[in-house]
Amino acid sequence: MEFFFDLLSVLVLLSSFVLVSNKKITAYIKTFQIQSALIALIAGIMGWSIAVNEDKYDILIICVIIIALKVIFIPHLLYKTYGNIEYRVEKDFFMNIPIIVLICCGLVVFSYFSVSNIGSLTGFHINHQVVNSLSVVLIGFFFMISRKKAIGQIIGYLVIENGIFVTAMFSTNGMPFIVDIGIFIDMITAVMIMGIMVTRINKKFESINIDKLSKLKG
Amino acid sequence: MDWLTPSSLLYWSIIIYLTAAIVAIFFYRHPHLCTLFAQSGCIFASALGAASALKMILFDQETLIITPFESTVPFISISMTLDALSAFFILILSILVCCVSLYSIGYLKHYYNKRNVSAFHALYIGFILSMIFVFTAGNAVFFFIAWEIMTVISYFLVVFESEDVNEKAGLIYIVMTHIGAAFLMIAFMIMFVYTKSFDIFGSSEAIPATAKSLMFVFFLIGFGVKAGVVPVHVWLPYAHPAAPSNVSALMSGIMIKTAIYGLIRFILCYLNVHNTWWGILILCIGIVSAILGVAYALMEHNIKRLLAFHSVENIGIILIGLGISFVAFSQGNGILGGLAISASLLHTFNHTLFKGGLFLGAGSIQYATHTKDIEKLGGLIKKMPVTAVMVLCFSLAISAIVPFNGFVSEWLTYQSLFSIIIPGQTGINIISILAAAALAMSGALAAACFVKLFGISFLGKARSECALNAAEVPASMNTGMGILALFCLVIGLFPVFFLKVVDKVVFSISGTTVIGELQGGFLIAWYPINVSGNAITPSAIFIASAVIILATAALIRLVGGKVSERKYGTWDCGFRELTPRMQYTATGFSKPLRIVLRILYKPGRMLETEKGDSSYFPLSKKYRVWTEPVFEKYVYDPFLTAVKRFSLRIKLSVQTGSTHAYLVYIFAAVLVLMLYNRLA
Repeated sequence: MEFFFDLLSVLVLLSSFVLVSNKKITAYIKTFQIQSALIALIAGIMGWSIAVNEDKYDILIICVIIIALKVIFIPHLLYKTYGNIEYRVEKDFFMNIPIIVLICCGLVVFSYFSVSNIGSLTGFHINHQVVNSLSVVLIGFFFMISRKKAIGQIIGYLVIENGIFVTAMFSTNGMPFIVDIGIFIDMITAVMIMGIMVTRINKKFESINIDKLSKLKG
Repeated sequence: MDWLTPSSLLYWSIIIYLTAAIVAIFFYRHPHLCTLFAQSGCIFASALGAASALKMILFDQETLIITPFESTVPFISISMTLDALSAFFILILSILVCCVSLYSIGYLKHYYNKRNVSAFHALYIGFILSMIFVFTAGNAVFFFIAWEIMTVISYFLVVFESEDVNEKAGLIYIVMTHIGAAFLMIAFMIMFVYTKSFDIFGSSEAIPATAKSLMFVFFLIGFGVKAGVVPVHVWLPYAHPAAPSNVSALMSGIMIKTAIYGLIRFILCYLNVHNTWWGILILCIGIVSAILGVAYALMEHNIKRLLAFHSVENIGIILIGLGISFVAFSQGNGILGGLAISASLLHTFNHTLFKGGLFLGAGSIQYATHTKDIEKLGGLIKKMPVTAVMVLCFSLAISAIVPFNGFVSEWLTYQSLFSIIIPGQTGINIISILAAAALAMSGALAAACFVKLFGISFLGKARSECALNAAEVPASMNTGMGILALFCLVIGLFPVFFLKVVDKVVFSISGTTVIGELQGGFLIAWYPINVSGNAITPSAIFIASAVIILATAALIRLVGGKVSERKYGTWDCGFRELTPRMQYTATGFSKPLRIVLRILYKPGRMLETEKGDSSYFPLSKKYRVWTEPVFEKYVYDPFLTAVKRFSLRIKLSVQTGSTHAYLVYIFAAVLVLMLYNRLA
């Protein structure tokens, strides 16, 4: 079981590396979809084992919700938002891709360093799954910083959320059901609002480059 | 009888204050009734408060603890503690409130139907109550809350007349006092860190010496801003003229004294004075305030600004006494410490009486003439004789002339200054000699200033229409001032009774009594110093001078025979008639001192001439003279400019409006927190 989780957490981390090295917006959405599917798989395996051992089904339900929301609904919504915006070729990132990837490697090392003294959560050794998922949070954050266009920020936000979810899953075997549901509802609202905002920004500035927002400053 | 204990009297006085405030709010449609109810409530309540305080000081020496409200939230409980020191300040507060409320019944008439008078009453009573709470607070949290309420309410009272100037005055006031409050808060936090308690009456033994010195400095800055000592006095000359006169009487009379209370309570009672330099620092600040306050007052022609600068001067004199007592206590000289602090407390009391009275007098002048500029007054002694006599009394009192109270406390301050001079102790000797010289100089300048104030505004001919049409103010206003003037005279003539009151207070804080040292009968107060016994008897001097005047008059009558009165115009040098413009002006009167002290004022002058056909007949001439506000120009303005520039730079560089920059800040914060978590 632990072997599967180790493998899956590494895959989730890898997917976030793939995300930061993408150049096209459609590719961001697709990578996010894959990452969400991997997380759904983690939740599925964990939920299955708990359902078999302890006769509790809430993580399985959450797995279904993840598939419905993060794998199908939100990517669909993002594709639609993207479709509303005319296609324009613009350089989307501040630094070039290799440097971004190198910085992300640094972030992984940093999160390893910072978590290394709280390994006692699951035993004496360092919990690599937590390290990996925490790195996903930081990489998601860094992705938000490195992308200029608003869709990049939405994806970054969703990746942070994914990272936090997986961290919670690995460190405590799932949060209380009601908390998870609350987070999902928050997330849907946030993504919908941000989708609307992107369309508005596009109308106003004829670009979804959020640098233009600094014109709003008083 | 149970209900006559100090605590129940105080309790009832607070209840009556509150009732008066509520009644005032309910009668907001009837300004007359509302004023009558609220102010008579205040008079009654203040009488109870004074009775409670006197009873506390004269009979019960035990500290009383009243806790009307205990909450489950830690450290937030209203605990009121009444000891002799609090009682003394409540006594002077109550006497002043009694007179000011009497005065307000008449004074507030010119606000009817112009401003919301009932709101004024509610604020006024709230202001008084907050000061009572400041004086009785038993823990630092409650003290701080009461202190802030006092500041905020007085801000609203300052801007009550809401004109543009007042709003600027209010802004300066509230910014300055909040800077002071921040320092107080830091000091209270240091206190809590070491003693784990906010109890003001607790022990400070757990605090190390360095932290005590730090606390002393913070207390000094925090209370100094409220007291208005140089160089943090800048709010006083703005706030006092802006406020209605009865409020400025309260503010100058008692609110700035809350700082004196704080200094005595926290530094002398709580921290105990260990270092000589504390006292010397206070002494130096006192000297500078006394000199500069009166020096700037001389150049002012706005009657209330002038009085505000005199508050700075008198706070300086109080601080000189306090400084000597701190020095003496740190050297273990209890008797001298007791003497100096009695001088300081007595001067606090006296200043409350005469400065409150002077502000009320300024209010009467403004009520009758609608101006605060003394260059526009003149000849008021004929129009408002009662007010004139009382302003003269207060002017004599503040200039420390013999039969009035200012003399007694300044004399005691001098005696303590002389007594601290011990052969072979160079530093303090030099400072105390300088302090005595400074005190003498400030006394002389104050006398000059009040000659100017009284002479220009009450004597001579009216300089403007408004002074010409002035009429005597309502009787209630004159009664209020009259009581204060009577107190000034009584304390001046029979100081020993009041010294006894002060002495009991001093005994409760320092355990020394000086009244025994001030031997003599009911009229005589003398303090033995090493060289020779210095003694003074104000009433004897008064009687002697009265006898001399009467004798001279009789002699003139006897030698000169019957004098026939002849009414005739003054010789006018060949002009057709004398006009008010030929009189000495306030600017002219203060000119010699402006030249002597030009290093302080940096005066400038300009003559603008509009040329006519011939240079001998100009169309108009304008003469302008000004002095520079040194502290504002060379200390505050550069500082404010620097702060503004820094803030603007921050706004341009940190708050750029770029979403990415904001994201980077959050990201950096997260990383730093993670690092901190790892390393801590």
